[in-house]
Amino acid sequence: MSTESGEQTNGADGDARERLLALAAQFYDQFERGDVPHMDVPTRTKTNIEYDPEQKVWVYGDRKSTRSANSVRGAQKLLKVIYSIDFLANQLEEDRSSTLRELYYLSESWDLDEAQFNSQDESNQLIEDLEIVSDVRREEFHMRPEESGAKVMGPLRLREQTNRGDREIHCQHDVGQGGYQIPNDPDTIEFLDNDAEFVLCVETGGMRDRLVENGFDDEHDAIVVHLGGQPARATRRLTKRLHDELGLPVTVFTDGDPWSYRIYGSVAYGSIKSAHLSKYLATPEAQFIGVQPEDIVEYDLPTDPLADSDKNALESELEDPRFQTDYWEEQIELQLDIDKKSEQQALASYGLDFVTDTYLPERLEEMGIL
Amino acid sequence: MSGRQSTLGEEGIAQELAESQRSISIAEFFEKNKHMLGFDSGARALVTAVKEGVDNSLDACEEADIMPDIYVEIEDLGDYYRLVVEDNGPGITKEQLPKVFGKLLYGSRFHKREQNRGQQGIGISAAVLYSQLTSGKPAKITSRTKGSEEAHYFELIIDTDDNEPEISIDETTTWDRPHGTRIEIEMEANLRARQQLHDYIKHTAVVNPHARIEFLEPNIDEPLKFERAEGAELPAETEEIRPHPHGVELGTLLKMLEATDSYSISGFLQGEFTRVGATTAEKVQNNFRDRHFGREMAWQPPQAHEGDIEVAVRAAVANKGKDATKSFAREVANAVSDRERIAHHELQSVIDEAAEDAADGFGTTFGATVREKATAAAWAQITGDTDDGEPRETLASDLYGLIEGATSSRKDDATLNGLADRIAAKFVDSDDDRHRCTRDELDDYVKRAAENTEEYDDATIGDTARENVWRAIWDVMATVPDEPPNVSTVASGRDTASELLEAMRETDIISPPTDCLAPITERLVEGGLRKEFGADFYAAATRDAAVSGGDPFIVEAGIAYGGELEDGGAIDVMRFANRVPLVYQRGACATTDVVKTINWRNYGLDQPGGSGLPNGPAVVMVHIASTNVPFTSESKDAIANVPAIEDEIELAIREAARELKSFLNKRRSMRKRREKQDKLGTILPEMATKLSEVTGRKTLDIDDSLARIMNNVLIEREVEDGSVRLVVENNDSTNAEPEITDIVTVQPENVETNGDDARVVEMDGEWFLKWSPTVGSGDEAALTYEVNGDASFDVSVDGIEREKLTVDGEQ
Repeated sequence: MSTESGEQTNGADGDARERLLALAAQFYDQFERGDVPHMDVPTRTKTNIEYDPEQKVWVYGDRKSTRSANSVRGAQKLLKVIYSIDFLANQLEEDRSSTLRELYYLSESWDLDEAQFNSQDESNQLIEDLEIVSDVRREEFHMRPEESGAKVMGPLRLREQTNRGDREIHCQHDVGQGGYQIPNDPDTIEFLDNDAEFVLCVETGGMRDRLVENGFDDEHDAIVVHLGGQPARATRRLTKRLHDELGLPVTVFTDGDPWSYRIYGSVAYGSIKSAHLSKYLATPEAQFIGVQPEDIVEYDLPTDPLADSDKNALESELEDPRFQTDYWEEQIELQLDIDKKSEQQALASYGLDFVTDTYLPERLEEMGIL
Repeated sequence: MSGRQSTLGEEGIAQELAESQRSISIAEFFEKNKHMLGFDSGARALVTAVKEGVDNSLDACEEADIMPDIYVEIEDLGDYYRLVVEDNGPGITKEQLPKVFGKLLYGSRFHKREQNRGQQGIGISAAVLYSQLTSGKPAKITSRTKGSEEAHYFELIIDTDDNEPEISIDETTTWDRPHGTRIEIEMEANLRARQQLHDYIKHTAVVNPHARIEFLEPNIDEPLKFERAEGAELPAETEEIRPHPHGVELGTLLKMLEATDSYSISGFLQGEFTRVGATTAEKVQNNFRDRHFGREMAWQPPQAHEGDIEVAVRAAVANKGKDATKSFAREVANAVSDRERIAHHELQSVIDEAAEDAADGFGTTFGATVREKATAAAWAQITGDTDDGEPRETLASDLYGLIEGATSSRKDDATLNGLADRIAAKFVDSDDDRHRCTRDELDDYVKRAAENTEEYDDATIGDTARENVWRAIWDVMATVPDEPPNVSTVASGRDTASELLEAMRETDIISPPTDCLAPITERLVEGGLRKEFGADFYAAATRDAAVSGGDPFIVEAGIAYGGELEDGGAIDVMRFANRVPLVYQRGACATTDVVKTINWRNYGLDQPGGSGLPNGPAVVMVHIASTNVPFTSESKDAIANVPAIEDEIELAIREAARELKSFLNKRRSMRKRREKQDKLGTILPEMATKLSEVTGRKTLDIDDSLARIMNNVLIEREVEDGSVRLVVENNDSTNAEPEITDIVTVQPENVETNGDDARVVEMDGEWFLKWSPTVGSGDEAALTYEVNGDASFDVSVDGIEREKLTVDGEQ
């Protein structure tokens, strides 16, 4: 397999198809030499994730697992890989796309029982394998997840290539209250112009709606990106592009609990499942707004006590190199000390406008963004 | 013709029979005992009659060194069944007829110690009698002795008034067999035990692979044929052996004592028992002396301060001259002090010897009186019975040493002293000045001394300590030289005979010889199974001879598995004793018990619940050859649960079962390999096809990859411009030694290999290239040759399991 990470370029369908075929050719050569066909894939577990201090993102370590035709199971896996390559190559040739779930059901139509997927986990995992081994992103295969990316609202004008032609969209004027829907492959987007000062990623839908209703995006020239829990790949990709291409500072606004800090971590440093794409998805410069444990104290927010699982999560974050900075150690220890957590919406205890009028401007000023 | 006279297994029945014939008619006796004789039902009677007839024929043939060829026929006559048993044995003369068929009427005196089919039944005579009693028909016997011009035909009837066999017809006849005997009897019977009958015949064929048997019964047209196993030989001839000292009972011993011509016990032992020579006889005799007379206590010689034997002896001798007396006394003193311990009779020998020497040296006679006085004086010094000493103290200090060595170190000094002192007192107080006592008396000394010590010295002396003290003292005591009682004395006293028996049992005696046994041998056990069961696998084990109760025995086991054997339900267990199948009472047999206790799951068979008969397509056979097979009952259908025999049965079965296990394991792994190969055989070609399709390249050959995946040995041929290269690639983890034959239609030239040579043989216009390379794990071997013009090739490979071989271009 190829290990070098080539530049991921937009709309490189030809490349994607060639890379897939190169993988098939590699299996062909193995057969022809009388070798046992196989491919090596990095082990995708926590223990095989390493921090790349240069890129400030999380990448896979050196441990590999081999998918080899040596066993019946392994041979079946490779068979599925080859069938999938065949399918994807055809899909790219015909310029169609499909969802991960469709791939799973589509395998039912393959004439050979052994090539069919047993579960969607299996087909999802296989696509991840293919991404890593061929160094082509899923999006370039024209594979998309069932659920789509989240929404954006802000002073940004862009052009999106759609199946029905290019569309120019202004993310405030041309969209409804819901905002602009991020497509599955944000690389089909071209940024035209913007008046934005910064990007504000928001964890919950309720808070996003509050900010939009209060006209926060308008007032502060913010691009509000809805994360919706653990952010989808498209959301993270777009965020990174906003930062890299438009030079906008990125901030993340979440609940004040350990799970939300991980959402921030995945935006900033990358996640385990997609560590092979960290360079492409992670925005190491992203800054955390809050809710900080410090804020809980300072603003005297309504709280819930920490559950045992919360404490465990905080403890494990203390040992997580991603959070081993003075800032995070201080915040996490403080939270353990006060034994409390708060939601974003807790800010409403000071009125519906408190978050847009007081909290966010204060925090953003502290961070040097406003 | 001892087979035909095969003895009744048990002396008891024989005697009973002999006695009863005087008072009651044989018919009456038979009626009373028919359950014991195996004729209690019509069904069983037929099985028994066949069994007796066939056993009889087998024995007759074997004794005459003839490979048995036996024909059995059962015919339904309506009212009766007719049984015919024919053999190719030595034939029988008119004079022998009554002995064979009247055997039931003459008791036998002793049980013979020889492996013998006859032990299992009472012979063909019982069948003859049964048939006569039920049908009234005589037995019809045709016989031809070897080399005689014509055959004889007899009719034999037993006169039930005077219980004598009578030959009613005697005429010459013609018969196609060159020699042999044919017996024909009619009897009341039925075929309800057909299954047992079949089992009996089939099992007989298994366990007598040297015999050829034909069996014809009603409702079949062609007789069932049981052919001889290839390479089967007659069983080895067996020797009759005398009883082993460890194998006799008191009753038998008494009878042997009565019957022997020997005068002395030593002569009796050497003459009547196996494995007893002069040395062993002496050992037994010494043990017998110990039992009968007891031993004498041997004491340590006196220390300087305890007494002076020389002075005492000199004082005891009067009027023998100064020099002679002095020399005599010194010799005695020196001889005594040279010894570690000395008993009274040993002291006597010392005195006697010194007296002889003195007589030789000085011409002075030391008579009986002087010797007695000298002995008494010396013994008094040894036992401390002097003016200065108290015997009790001297002996106690001697005993203290023994007791201290025999008991645990936790005993305190006072306890040991008390015990030693009290035991010493027992010797001193005993009536026997020679300090002679039996085991029981010594036991009593120790026990009483211990009890008193516990009572007065507040000590504890447990049973183990007492036993150890007893043993320590008994061990230093000396066997007495007294002449043991002679044979007639022993024979007349039950207690004395019992002492002799104990002495025999406690003496180590080497095991009885085993040439009296003729095992089937592993090879033929397997051969017997192989010819009667179309199985996939056979294993056999013959144990070394072992001994139980003085009777040597050998256990053999065999297992057949798979193939045509029926699957579903418990395995079959075949039991044999001295080559005779045991058909009835399977559940009561030690053999079955052992099979049930073995954990068959260990050996790859399914065993519901982990005990009991395992399930599966298997047959287990167990053969016990012995000079005296212990049966559970007179009917001799089941082996008794004798631990020594059960152990050997288990070991024999386990030995064979281990082979079964490795066979099953191998088969299982081969099956897995085959399944894997089948699976991959579908997947890989699909993969290859798809890859060619996706890449747009030519069709792939995946044999090499498949061979490598399966760790197979791959044989591949490359042909280019008339040069041929045959490559063996070993992907396995062990050496491969294929035997390759490449058949080429034109003459191969310039044959070369990179190691082991190849041979070329021409046959009918084809050239056979034979090549047997040894290819190490991961290595390759190559054979190259050239052919002129068009040639076709056909390669075949032996020496490698089909599952582990991939021949390129073949599926």
